[in-house]
Amino acid sequence: MATANTVHGRIESARPALTTPRVALGLTLIAILGFTLLFVQEPLVHDSLHNARHAAGITCH
Amino acid sequence: MLESYLVRGLKAGLVAGVALGLFVAVLANPMIAAAEGLAGDHGGHHASDGSGGHHAGEGGHGGQEASGVLGVVSAPLISVVGGVFWGLLLGVLTFGLAFYFLEPAIPGTGATKSAIAAAGGFVTVSGAPWLVLPPQPPGVEQALSTDARLALYAGLMLAGLSACLLAGYVYTGLRDGGRGRALVGAAVPFCTLVGLAFVLPANPATQSLPVAFVAAFRAQVVFGQAMVWTLLAGTHAWLAAGDETDEKQFATDVGVDDPVTAD
Repeated sequence: MATANTVHGRIESARPALTTPRVALGLTLIAILGFTLLFVQEPLVHDSLHNARHAAGITCH
Repeated sequence: MLESYLVRGLKAGLVAGVALGLFVAVLANPMIAAAEGLAGDHGGHHASDGSGGHHAGEGGHGGQEASGVLGVVSAPLISVVGGVFWGLLLGVLTFGLAFYFLEPAIPGTGATKSAIAAAGGFVTVSGAPWLVLPPQPPGVEQALSTDARLALYAGLMLAGLSACLLAGYVYTGLRDGGRGRALVGAAVPFCTLVGLAFVLPANPATQSLPVAFVAAFRAQVVFGQAMVWTLLAGTHAWLAAGDETDEKQFATDVGVDDPVTAD
C-alpha cells in the first residue's frame, strides 16, 4: 500500500477497483434500495413497508 | 482493500438488520396495530394530506387484515423484511463505503472510530430529520403535506451529514491546539443544525391518541434505531479487530509485505 493513510490516499487506492460499470451498478442498487425504503409513495409498496417506516421513524403519509 | 471494507459493512448490516427485523416483528408490529386500533375507525385521516387519497376507504391500513404486495404476503411480514434491508443498507453505506473513504479522518482508533461513524450515521439518517419531524405513530394528522415532509426529511439528512463532516473537519483542524478547543469547535456545526430546526417550517400534529402512547411509541422508535447503530458499530469493530489479527498472522506466516491485498 504505497498510498498514505489519508482520505485522499483511500480514494487513490480504490480507483483501480472503481470501474465505471461497477460504480454504476453499486450506485443503482443503493439508490433503488434507499429510494424504496425512504421515498416511494406508490400505494402497494408503501402499504407493504408501512410498519417498517414507522418503526424506523421515517416520515410517512 | 475496498472489498474487505464492503464485506465487513455487509456483515455488520446483516447483524443489525436481522435484529431490526426481529424488533419490527416482536415490538413495532404489535405497537402499530395497537395505534391503529386506538386511533379508531376515522380512516379518512389519510385522505386529508392531498396525496394519501389511496388510503381512504380502506379504513387506515386495515390493522390485522392489511395485505402487502399482491396480497400474498402480509404487510407486517414485508415490514420485517424491510427492517432487515434497512440494516443492510445502513451497514453497507456507512461501514462499507463511507468508513473506507473517511477512516483516516475519523478521530480515535479501533472501536472508537466505529462508534463515531455510527453516531454520525444516526445523526444523518434519523437524528437531524427527527428535530423537525419526530417519529409519529400511525393515525396522526400533520400540518405539512406528505411530499413536503419527504423533501424536508431528505434535506435534513443532507444537513445532518454536512454537520457531521464539518464537525470532523473542524475537530481534526483544531486538535493540535488542544482537545477542549477541538471539541468546542466540533460542537458548532451541531448547534447550527439544532438552530436550523427552529427556523424551518413547523409541523404541528393533531392526534386522537393518548399522549403517553405517543411518548412510548417514540421511545420505542428511538430505542430501535439506537440499537441498530450500536449493533452496527459493535459488530464492525469486532470484525475489524478480527480481520486485523488475521492479516498480521497471515503476514508473519507467509512473509508478505502487503497483507491487505492477500485475501
